[in-house]
Amino acid sequence: MIVTKQSRPFSPRAHSNMQRRDFLKLMGAGGIALSAGGLGFASRLAAQDAATIAFWATATLDIGDKWPEFAKQSGVTPEFTDNGNDLGPVIARLAAGNANDLFDIGGFQGGAEKELARQGVIIPWDTAKIPNYESLWQWAKDIPYLKNDGKQYGIPAVVNADSIIYRPDKLGKIDSYGAIFDPKLKGRVAMEDAWINSAIFTAMYLKESENQPIADPGNLSESELGLVMEFLIKHKSDGQFRTFWNGWEQGVQLVADQEVDAMTGWEPIVYEGRKRGLQVEYAAPVEGYEGWGNNMVLLKGAGDRGVSDTAHKFVDGLLGGFYGCELGQARGYLVPTDNNVVYAKAHPDEYKPEEVEKLAEHVKAKFAGKIYWQNARPDNFQLYEEWWQKLRNA
Amino acid sequence: MTGSRLPISSALMTPPLLSILAFGLAPLTIVVVWSFWSWDPSTYWIKPDLSLAGYAGILEAGRWTVIVSTLVKAFATALLCLLIAYPTAYAVHFLAGRRLSIILLALITIPFFTSYLIRSFSWRLVLGRTGVLNSWLQDIGIINAPLDWLLFSNFAVVVGLVASYLPFATFPLLLSMRRVDPTFLAAAQDLGAGFWKSLTSILLPLTMSGIFAGFLFVFVMVVGSSTEVQMLGGAGASIVSVMINDVMRVANYPLAFAISTIVLIVIFGLVLIGNRMFGLASLFEDQSP
Repeated sequence: MIVTKQSRPFSPRAHSNMQRRDFLKLMGAGGIALSAGGLGFASRLAAQDAATIAFWATATLDIGDKWPEFAKQSGVTPEFTDNGNDLGPVIARLAAGNANDLFDIGGFQGGAEKELARQGVIIPWDTAKIPNYESLWQWAKDIPYLKNDGKQYGIPAVVNADSIIYRPDKLGKIDSYGAIFDPKLKGRVAMEDAWINSAIFTAMYLKESENQPIADPGNLSESELGLVMEFLIKHKSDGQFRTFWNGWEQGVQLVADQEVDAMTGWEPIVYEGRKRGLQVEYAAPVEGYEGWGNNMVLLKGAGDRGVSDTAHKFVDGLLGGFYGCELGQARGYLVPTDNNVVYAKAHPDEYKPEEVEKLAEHVKAKFAGKIYWQNARPDNFQLYEEWWQKLRNA
Repeated sequence: MTGSRLPISSALMTPPLLSILAFGLAPLTIVVVWSFWSWDPSTYWIKPDLSLAGYAGILEAGRWTVIVSTLVKAFATALLCLLIAYPTAYAVHFLAGRRLSIILLALITIPFFTSYLIRSFSWRLVLGRTGVLNSWLQDIGIINAPLDWLLFSNFAVVVGLVASYLPFATFPLLLSMRRVDPTFLAAAQDLGAGFWKSLTSILLPLTMSGIFAGFLFVFVMVVGSSTEVQMLGGAGASIVSVMINDVMRVANYPLAFAISTIVLIVIFGLVLIGNRMFGLASLFEDQSP
């Protein structure tokens, strides 16, 4: 039987370890109540015998009313809670708050696994208990950050790679991030308002096209970061950027209303621009793509509560094909396994196999070239924030 | 008589007092106290060891300039709001008939019907390169090419802020104008005072508390805003709340609390000074003799 969430706060373990984390627990009592509500507190009471798992992930991983079908196939019912996709508060809540009391599995942007393992707030997966793990494409298994000390801490559930959205009718073909820094496009380009993306894009450009001494664009040393950010600050001061954008609506508006001719960003914005009748393309830059993954991590609390096997079963379900088909259809996201195509071919009435295959081949083609992986938690993350402030104030 | 009223009034006062303490004073006290604690990046948590590192952090990476520019923006926006709100309130209270004043008040409150996000976003569609304003200016031949500075600029931010917070200046002014005895204005007219003389000698002095209350409401709202700056400002445009959000993203709580404490001190100082100079409390005093 699954230990239900409502019993956990009153477990003996919850009464021990009443130290720093209890500050947040106390302060967040209202928040806990809200979270419990968001987790379907009442429904949990009614379904104590069901194999449920508390899934705390990026909102875009939620397949909403398709979860019952997922549960039917996998035998596990997830109770989904949006984690806000901002790793700072997420890590703080895991390290010093109550997240491990409330959630079993995290779905986080890749890069924080090492830090979370060091903090002891996540525990390794046993891939032998995830039969579908073997179906993952090799390059997805090889994503850095997934392993620490030889143990598997992350399982990639969603992957993709980002580059430049641009207007070929105005700029011709673009195949380099150099366009973003080209003075000829002064005031007609944009980047994202987040160091997690913009620092790595700039570092990739400087490393690959300007031969600057940068080892890993996703994890810059102090001096490398200084080099990258000084470069960005100079271009910002010169008026190169129209703006730094935030969120889907703003990104789409910049392209659709022709505020910019090129910007770093997400591929779905290209599709939205085309829907509005614009000529918009997604570049395949010579410097490579920024790969990103949303990885599943097993929270320590799941192990403490004895729901680890259910958690493994759940992740196995994510890689089973149905979830990949659904996520691909709903958002164009890719679960990196051939099981999606297999499932679509077995259920052509539900999903179009050719479309599932097309998406898979499209993303695979991106990853066939050069990739630098986005890192949500670089070693010098505090310095990244300092430099981002300097950039804002430049 | 007084003795029997005291326990009832005390009992009535207790819940709001406790609410103010619990929901107002207690969180602010925690913010101030924690701003002096030290932070351990390895555990993402704070320790009760006295430290001024949070305050030292304000002097780094140009953070203090964000605080200063936020206060300047708030000051400018509050002034602009007053300049627009004063004649508006005057028109609603002194010039419009009953029905028209109700319509005008309804129009003033319309911005409240939508979220700040939608309101700010709509300004993008007005001020953008292909927006309503640029298109119109080009159509009537005033400009040949779109004006880039209309959007993603300080101008756009101030437009967005004024549009968002104008009602917060208008209503305190209306309240203060309703407290002006109309016989004062009639007497001034009878004695030969013109509009400007009546305005500067009677109306402005008598509505000073409303002017300051309107200024304060807008000032405080702007200091706590972020949407308008993020949606309408230029590349990386910042304001205090954006900066706090950036700092919270790396879980540096003492620095975030230190920034908040500085802002709190400025706002409390402003309230105290304003109350002493303009008698803010008189706005809410009983008018009856």
